[in-house]
Amino acid sequence: MTSFRTLVLGFFILYPLLGVSAPIGYGKLTYQLPEPGSYDLPSLGLAADGEVLTGDGESIRLHSAFDKEFTVLAFIYSSCNDEDGCPLSSYVLYQLKNEIDRNQELEKKLKLISLSFDPVFDTPEMIKLYENGFKKKGEAKNHWDFLTTRNERKLEPILKAYGQDVQRIETSDKKVSVFSHILRVYLIDKEKNIRNIYNVDFLHKDMILNDVRNLIESGNSKRQLAIKDKSYLEPGDYRSGYENYSFKTRSKSVEQRVGNQIDLMIHAKKKHLGYPSLNVPTKNQLTKDKVHLGRTLFFDRRLSLNDTFSCAMCHIPEQGFTSNEMATAVGFEGRSVKRNAPTLLNVGFAKKFFHDGREDSLENQIWGPLLAKNEMANPSIGFVINKLKNIDKYKVLFKEAFGDAEITMLRVSDSLASYQRTLIAGSSRFDRWYFDNSEDALSDSEKEGFKIFTGKAGCSSCHVIGTSDALFTDESYRNTGLGYSRAMQVEDDVVPVQVAPGITVNVDKSIVDQVSEDMEVDLGRYEVTQDPNDRWFYKTPSLRNIQLTYPYMHDGSLGTLEEVIDFYDNGGIANPLLDPLIKPLGLTKEEKQQLVDFLESLTGDDVSLVVADAFSAPIGDPK
Amino acid sequence: MLARTNHFKLALFLVAVLIPFDILSKPLGGNFQLTDSNKQDFSLDSLKGNVVLMFFGYTTCPDICPTELSKLSIILNSLGSKSKHVKGLFVSLDPNRDRPEKLKEYVKFFHREIIALTGKESEVEKVANMYGVSYSKNIRPDGNYFLDHSANLYVLDQEGKISAVAPYGFPISHVIQLIEQMN
Repeated sequence: MTSFRTLVLGFFILYPLLGVSAPIGYGKLTYQLPEPGSYDLPSLGLAADGEVLTGDGESIRLHSAFDKEFTVLAFIYSSCNDEDGCPLSSYVLYQLKNEIDRNQELEKKLKLISLSFDPVFDTPEMIKLYENGFKKKGEAKNHWDFLTTRNERKLEPILKAYGQDVQRIETSDKKVSVFSHILRVYLIDKEKNIRNIYNVDFLHKDMILNDVRNLIESGNSKRQLAIKDKSYLEPGDYRSGYENYSFKTRSKSVEQRVGNQIDLMIHAKKKHLGYPSLNVPTKNQLTKDKVHLGRTLFFDRRLSLNDTFSCAMCHIPEQGFTSNEMATAVGFEGRSVKRNAPTLLNVGFAKKFFHDGREDSLENQIWGPLLAKNEMANPSIGFVINKLKNIDKYKVLFKEAFGDAEITMLRVSDSLASYQRTLIAGSSRFDRWYFDNSEDALSDSEKEGFKIFTGKAGCSSCHVIGTSDALFTDESYRNTGLGYSRAMQVEDDVVPVQVAPGITVNVDKSIVDQVSEDMEVDLGRYEVTQDPNDRWFYKTPSLRNIQLTYPYMHDGSLGTLEEVIDFYDNGGIANPLLDPLIKPLGLTKEEKQQLVDFLESLTGDDVSLVVADAFSAPIGDPK
Repeated sequence: MLARTNHFKLALFLVAVLIPFDILSKPLGGNFQLTDSNKQDFSLDSLKGNVVLMFFGYTTCPDICPTELSKLSIILNSLGSKSKHVKGLFVSLDPNRDRPEKLKEYVKFFHREIIALTGKESEVEKVANMYGVSYSKNIRPDGNYFLDHSANLYVLDQEGKISAVAPYGFPISHVIQLIEQMN
């Protein structure tokens, strides 16, 4: 009010002089907006309803004024004179109105509403006069409604629901209060969901129109055609070369990722080159509805004690369905888990689960993390079941999947297992080369790597490649010495900690120990068999998609494939139970590189499919 | 005694509450008399036959009034020959400071044809209430004051009836379009 910056027309001139720029809404956008249909605008919650008055003094529900597919809602009051406030929103709405006048499609789809903050002076009569300015002769219906409220009592809950904090400042003569508020304009869809909120920095007609077009495009079933940058469908980062300065991340902004739902049933049932048939128990055949339910549960944070932790938070889709940043998993409230989160890609082909193989079915496995105190921390099975019973959505989903709405322990595990079985990440270059005789699928270096893998290094003794399919695991348990060294603390006094690509700092182990919780003792397979000869034995993991599933080993202690190869080249870590197959290999630098190249050819093209599908799944949140 | 005091309070309360409602419940607008910057009596009716663009403000207003007045001047200029039948009115909400001489000096700066009006405080208040204008004094520690006031532009038709109100912030083109529709 006391500012000079809005002076006359010089306001455009003065703004730069004062070193502040005019709100973008008055000018042209200086950047290009993303392609409509290429981005997500998740719902920001339901747009509130309330009792309002029209210019004719008729009392209506605010929701009934949202009578087109999209509504732009702004709050105004007549004595607002902050250029960054109501005048800006009125200006932008006016621009939108002109666009609507010019475009018949928009006219059918877009509604503008200005709702007054000031029931005392913006009476129905006054807002009728505002509206008159936009009524064309002979036109019955406006595409811009001006609304007000009967009194403060009716207005207050609406403002509160929209998060429009209004402060009333009494002037010195105590006559009229001045309103102080933060400019917000809301884009609302036909389901009355708020899809975007614009503040002074983003309020621009082109931005709003782009969002509207984006939502129209996204509602279109052909939306995947609109995805221009396919790289956002790809799996995430991988660490190859992380030890060098020249390392460049391949990670993609999660915000910009685009979900793309696929028919997981078709995906699961088709023949995947180089894969055996899926292990599906006769009692839990795959059905579309079960998979859908399992997928919904998988991403639902309410499956944990305090509604914060979903399966997907350790088995992160874009991080190879494991957690790339954690050597060992961190669960509920930051509690440490003693082992690395295994990938769920191709988990449907496994016969044993957990690094110690303590479960032999996915159906049984799922209750492990759900009930572990340091994972999802549910106190009991019944607790999980009862929680799901109280969520309306699940009544419908369980009925669709199982014929009636009853929620049981078996049904929860059947559906979660069903979803995980569909996470098949086939179609790798190795498969095309090895099983389909496609000579060009692998480079010479990769082919050399294969020779070393199956020959000199002997990797395939445990990471088995069959004649008709290859899971790269013998499903047995081995002692590499890593578990032994951790348990016996035969580590060095100085720990190398890599803080950035190419930068490693040697830190005294006592300092590292200060910042981390004492790791629980881990005896491996022994914990299941109680046989002393099974101490520090862990399951041989599959190597498929290994490029994406770092860090490696049962404890995530090795960050890159190079480190893993060095580890085996050195013959593991000596201990009485070391696997006899593990011995120094004498690999040259070139051979090591060829091995890495070969391992990187095991990444399946289909990872993109299941990752993009995961991004289209609903995230279950308490709200 | 107590009961009587309470009745008195209630009556006072009702008067306080109902008076503004009474004012606001009447239709907005209507004829009024004030004094122009040449110290001549002015009646809105004298402008019948013209489209009138009316704005309320005060000359020491730092931001919106000059913005709105220069908009008004651009509108009048761009209407060209049509502007003969379009009049600009600037009503001071600060009659104690905005005496005719000062007003004359002030509006001249924007456009010759803008008529500036002032009057007794009570007269101005009456007009403001007729047109649903909210305004109040905001006194600063140094004794100076600003007025917080609504900044709507009133478009009156040839009969002196309010045809439309453009809330502050609407582009010039909108007002020109309104006027063109009325001719």
